[in-house]
Amino acid sequence: MAAIEESGGGGHGKGDGKVRGKKMSTRVDMTPMVDLGFLLITFFMLATTMSKPTSMSLAVPDKTEDQEKPTEPLKASKVLTLFMGDNDDVYYLDGIAADDDKAKTELKTTRYGHDLRTVIFASQKRINAANPKDKDGNEAFVVVIKPTEVSTYKNMVDVLDEMAITKTKRYALVDNLTDSEKEVLGDKIKPKN
Amino acid sequence: MAKVRPKKHAPHTDMTAMTDVAFLLLTFFIMTATFKSNDAEITTPTSISQIKVPDDKIMVISIDKAGKVFFGVDAQPTRAAMLDNIGQAKGITFTDAEKAKFALQSSFGLPLNQLKPWLNMPKEQMSQVKQPGIPVDSTGASELADWVYAARKADSQLRIALKGDNLSKFPAFKDVLANLQSQNINKFNLITGSEQAPAGYTND
Repeated sequence: MAAIEESGGGGHGKGDGKVRGKKMSTRVDMTPMVDLGFLLITFFMLATTMSKPTSMSLAVPDKTEDQEKPTEPLKASKVLTLFMGDNDDVYYLDGIAADDDKAKTELKTTRYGHDLRTVIFASQKRINAANPKDKDGNEAFVVVIKPTEVSTYKNMVDVLDEMAITKTKRYALVDNLTDSEKEVLGDKIKPKN
Repeated sequence: MAKVRPKKHAPHTDMTAMTDVAFLLLTFFIMTATFKSNDAEITTPTSISQIKVPDDKIMVISIDKAGKVFFGVDAQPTRAAMLDNIGQAKGITFTDAEKAKFALQSSFGLPLNQLKPWLNMPKEQMSQVKQPGIPVDSTGASELADWVYAARKADSQLRIALKGDNLSKFPAFKDVLANLQSQNINKFNLITGSEQAPAGYTND
């Protein structure tokens, strides 16, 4: 130990009144050092970022490449369309096209997180049960994600995350709305101010 | 009767062990420290993704909550080379002192024509300048695209990471995307915080 006990002899040290030569203390007071140590710890704890950020990879289709093989148009009955609205609302059309007459009444609203996940799972289950897998073994369920100009970056990451959680392999991020979609959504996607 | 004397010494705690612990922790924190960069304050959204952001050879395009775009490359030699490249492309010559100063900036968000005056400011003033962000538009041919091109010319191994703020609007992200896609960059990383996957989720 660094500290060496001063004033030798336990028993007779007290109360005998004898004057002794003062011994030099070899004890080093560590308190300021501890203070300094903790000060530095505090500084480094506050200055560091402990949790290293993670990343999700995003691959977007090549715009310049010519579309040699036009793909088969998607059947609306196999598609769940998510519109990312203002204020963390998600509007969705489940298995129905926006130009359908019933689209306006079928458009439902949900929230991110658990609610959205429930919607996706329900739709996934229903569509995959009603439609057989295609010849490549892909499931029929497709999600079309449509961000609007009032949605935030966080909303987009949340939806992409939801795709990973629900293991939806086929999804598309489409950033332009068709006229019929605009009509169905109406004021919901207009910036408020 | 013996006189009752006050105790000579205050009870003394042995601080040695505490010092040991304090410095052990200190050592740990110093060794694991990666400093927060204080250039643009961005709160990233969280995702369940487990992929770590690569440590080196990375360029980060940040979008802050107002939609301003910042650009940064990790390695200092690459930064200098990048400035050289963009200078050549745009017909601006930068002095060695400006290059050296630029190499020290972890990220910046200035239009090209404001860059030179900014680099000539004293150090203290540089950090006080409110950076307006790199001009980005949806055509895919704005200054951000030039910077990305210059950076990739400086180091072709660079990976691209996008770091957006929670509150940044989608159109800002869309414009950045257009700039990347115009150069045939179709795969990149989105930097997010980590979050616990919901119960029942299996990673396969």
